[in-house]
Amino acid sequence: MSGLPPIAVVESNDPLETPRRVALVHPDIRPAVRRSEERMVMTFPHLIVREIILFQVVTIALSIAALLFDAPLQGIANTTETPNPAKAPWYFLGLQELLHYFPPVVAGVLLPGLVVIALVVIPYARVNLTAGPLWTGRGPRALLGVAAAILAVAAFAAVFDCWPVVVPTLAVGAAMLAARGGERGGGTRRAFARVTLPEWIMTWFVIVASVLTIIGTFFRGPGWSFVWPWTTFRTW
Amino acid sequence: MRTPTVAALSGWLRDTSVYRSIVRHGVEDTNLNRSLVVLENLFLHVHPVKVREKTLRLGHTFWLGGITLACTGILFATGILLMFYYHPSVPQAYQDMKELQFVVDNGLFLRNLHRWGAHLMVFAAFAHMLRVFYHRAYRPPRQFNWVVGVVLLLATLGLSYTGYLLPWDQLAFWGVSVGTNMVRAAPWIGEPFRFLLLGGHVVSENALLRFYVLHCVVLPVTLILLVSVHIWRVRKDGGVQGPPEDVP
Amino acid sequence: MSSSDPMKRRDFLTLTGVGACAAAAAGAGLVTLDFLSPKVLFEPPTRFVAGTPLDFPEGTVRFNREQRAYVIGTSGGVYALTAVCTHLGCITRYLSDENVIACPCHGSRFDVEGNVVHGPAPRPLPWIEVKQDTAGNLVVDTAAVIPAGTVLRV
Repeated sequence: MSGLPPIAVVESNDPLETPRRVALVHPDIRPAVRRSEERMVMTFPHLIVREIILFQVVTIALSIAALLFDAPLQGIANTTETPNPAKAPWYFLGLQELLHYFPPVVAGVLLPGLVVIALVVIPYARVNLTAGPLWTGRGPRALLGVAAAILAVAAFAAVFDCWPVVVPTLAVGAAMLAARGGERGGGTRRAFARVTLPEWIMTWFVIVASVLTIIGTFFRGPGWSFVWPWTTFRTW
Repeated sequence: MRTPTVAALSGWLRDTSVYRSIVRHGVEDTNLNRSLVVLENLFLHVHPVKVREKTLRLGHTFWLGGITLACTGILFATGILLMFYYHPSVPQAYQDMKELQFVVDNGLFLRNLHRWGAHLMVFAAFAHMLRVFYHRAYRPPRQFNWVVGVVLLLATLGLSYTGYLLPWDQLAFWGVSVGTNMVRAAPWIGEPFRFLLLGGHVVSENALLRFYVLHCVVLPVTLILLVSVHIWRVRKDGGVQGPPEDVP
Repeated sequence: MSSSDPMKRRDFLTLTGVGACAAAAAGAGLVTLDFLSPKVLFEPPTRFVAGTPLDFPEGTVRFNREQRAYVIGTSGGVYALTAVCTHLGCITRYLSDENVIACPCHGSRFDVEGNVVHGPAPRPLPWIEVKQDTAGNLVVDTAAVIPAGTVLRV
């Protein structure tokens, strides 16, 4: 806050004393504040109308889906008869697929727990706040470090025969390494070179989670065996 | 004689003292009145009176937070309607599902709406989180709002999971059995937590009732409170933040 | 602006939009009401078999507790009354020594033809339908109210 006069703080408990300014917060102290010359519009009607339209569009889309596709209802719950395969809801199928490779403590508790903790920590980790493109200002030691990390993760997954993690890790890792030196390339190469480390990590996570979920949904049959999606099988 | 136009009729209506006791601002197209529409309404006044024009564009945030909220509204409405025909007991719950699908007028439609709305909400919540992440809209002063968002995501998953058991069919029962068995693997707290969650050692009537209370009372109230905090904080942080170039 | 000017496009579109929203809201409201009105009820049936005409000689008053009805035999035939008091819905009882139907809640009294003889009951006890099935049994329907005085000749 350069250029501002020094401020004398006077403490007084006398209610009749004229309040004095104790601090002046310069309005631009926060990074995510709008510019003063940005164009503003009235909330009503512009934003309100768009919110109404959004609600209508979502309602119509869901209504069309509800008219065309029926929610499933199988036979009544039978505690003595486990369907084969017994699948969790789709957002847990990635975890269930992971359970196929790792022991339950790892797949069911450790990994989801770490994911939640990692998510919560994102805005407080300095690497996320100051991140520039992955390779900018980083020498050959960083190259070794990144390659080692990629191989470590892939090796850990490979020990457990978890190919759905190994393959995307190596693929994303290869893209990360190939992005090095891409600032001087064409449009796509430049775009890849600009990706920051947190973005690479999140992209890796999204790809791995999607692959696991897709396999769990479409490629798993009785006994959690590998089947092609078009294979029909009965669950009892 | 002039035929009364819609404009003339609504103009007359707006002049009545009853109307003016409810809606306290005028109807002239002035910025003052536009401000008052937002300021004088309990539900609308979570908005600021003016917003940055950039934030209205689809590509700014893809409206993903709004989609998630719209799904929430639809799920509340359909969920409450479905509650009128559902008993959370065994085996009545399953019979109620059959009744909803085959006997009650529009029961099948409302159940479908509820199910697909739930899937869309989970998906939209994830997509919203990813959008905020890739736009780096979690940076100061928005850090804690991101954490609130993560808790909201967990609440959404919890709502989806507790609702999954309620039809009490094979899919529901075994899907939840598998999930709660995963919880068991947690050291020390796993088994006790599962016991509390299910109200027993197995998925039974107790589990159905607990999941019902979680699904219809505890988690919706949590969701509403946290969504209110979430939206309030967005407002206080200067509105939604889109692509990072947007930030000075 | 005089009413003969063509409507502005903006006003037309506004009217169409608001009208469509109003129609959708009205439709949703009707669908919701229809949804909430049950088409299948799980209440117990109101028809029951009261016996044969031989069970009801003249002067018999039989009280069916589960169905809440009196079945009464006379010289001209058989008729039935509901046992639910018309005041506030309590179940009445027949006092044979006084030949009167009395309600324990607020003291209403009715004669055996349902007329109010005492108390706060605003209306006489409704007469309910008695029919004979093909086997000759007497079938009473507590939900079917018939004009007072209609006796089934048996």
